[in-house]
Amino acid sequence: MAASSEPNSREDIFDSSLNLEETHLKEGYNEGYADGLVSGEEEGRQVGLKTGFEVGEELGFYRGCIDVWNSAIRVDSNCFSSRVVRSIKQMEELLNKYPISNPEDESVSDVMDSLRLKFRAICAILNVKLEYNGYPKSSDGGNIQF
Amino acid sequence: MSLVDESFELKELQVLEGHADRVWSVAWKPATGFDGVPAVLASCSGDKTVRVWEQSPSSGSFQCKAVLEETHTRTVRSCAWSPSGKLLATASFDATTAVWEHVGDDYECVSTLEGHENEVKSISWNASGSLLATCGRDKSVWIWEVLPGNEFECVSVLQGHTQDVKMVQWHPNMDILFSCSYDNTIKVWAEDGDDDWHCVQTLAEANNGHTSTVWALSFNATGDKMATCSDDLTLKIWGSDLLTIQSGNGSAPWKHICTLSGYHDRTIFSVHWSREGIIASGAADDAIRLFAEDGDG
Repeated sequence: MAASSEPNSREDIFDSSLNLEETHLKEGYNEGYADGLVSGEEEGRQVGLKTGFEVGEELGFYRGCIDVWNSAIRVDSNCFSSRVVRSIKQMEELLNKYPISNPEDESVSDVMDSLRLKFRAICAILNVKLEYNGYPKSSDGGNIQF
Repeated sequence: MSLVDESFELKELQVLEGHADRVWSVAWKPATGFDGVPAVLASCSGDKTVRVWEQSPSSGSFQCKAVLEETHTRTVRSCAWSPSGKLLATASFDATTAVWEHVGDDYECVSTLEGHENEVKSISWNASGSLLATCGRDKSVWIWEVLPGNEFECVSVLQGHTQDVKMVQWHPNMDILFSCSYDNTIKVWAEDGDDDWHCVQTLAEANNGHTSTVWALSFNATGDKMATCSDDLTLKIWGSDLLTIQSGNGSAPWKHICTLSGYHDRTIFSVHWSREGIIASGAADDAIRLFAEDGDG
């Protein structure tokens, strides 16, 4: 009786040491996953904040320019050519169309590209060099820097 | 007269010296060179100047009549006369396009077009001289309207090419703009009423297009065929239905007609279709070749 229980307990010992490796692996994975969830969410929040700030700053800049231009037009309706007035109106429509509350809307990059183009064209006609630090250039491949 | 049957030979008439750096481009002034009006030629160079040469009626040799300098701060890459010959537009690596007018004996810079972010590569006037197009390394194509008093107003900034745009050319009779680029494609731009320009066709590799940078394009006299040349060592001929183009409604799609390969073994940088139907190509293999269409096309 004692002899027959020995192989069983020997097998149990082997089993648990085999399981030990598996258990450790599983434990490590779960720990890593849990840590990753937390740090990933934190990083995501940081990226979201940064991107949101950049987009907001650029849109705000355009809003400001359009407001100044519209004020000028109100003071003197002939200060700009009809083409410029039309372009400013088109730019304003684009700005209003930008889906601020829905960042996952696919049209965000298209609307932003169109806005930048319209802005460049208006600046060219008005012969002004309006820029701010974060203004991306198409030749740089879109590196926004602060 | 079948051009193919004649034997043509290019004979060098004169070497014009004066520029201090490579000459990038030349342009004949319209309405000169016949009926007693001496031929006039403009050349632009890496020495930041543009020179205007005139042929002497008596000796037949060309002399430098004017040097347009102290305006561009970098290489002048290309120049183009307006259809009336009154204005000369020059595109420079300094990101500006200057417009010059012949005043008395000299040329005066009457306008500077700014807007491109970097090197401007090419300029083209439309057939009526009311529009000017520019393109550059910033991948964009700009269209400007010519207003009274030599004023220029930007009509549109066109993005679409994914690389450096090498050349822009207006169609010889319609206000349709063509551009070719380092991205291997040729794009066709048309207006949808009221300054709304957009790309109506792209001729890419999939449409039997070029497999490398397209450097230049040129139209035949009637405007229903176009020749393009490329770094892929070929010249391609494209055609479109003339009547559809002229009717203005609906797009007149351009189709590949044939490819001329095996004639140059280096990049073909330049191509031009003469009024008489001869296509001339210039390549990095130091050769200029002349092509003519035989009866079968």
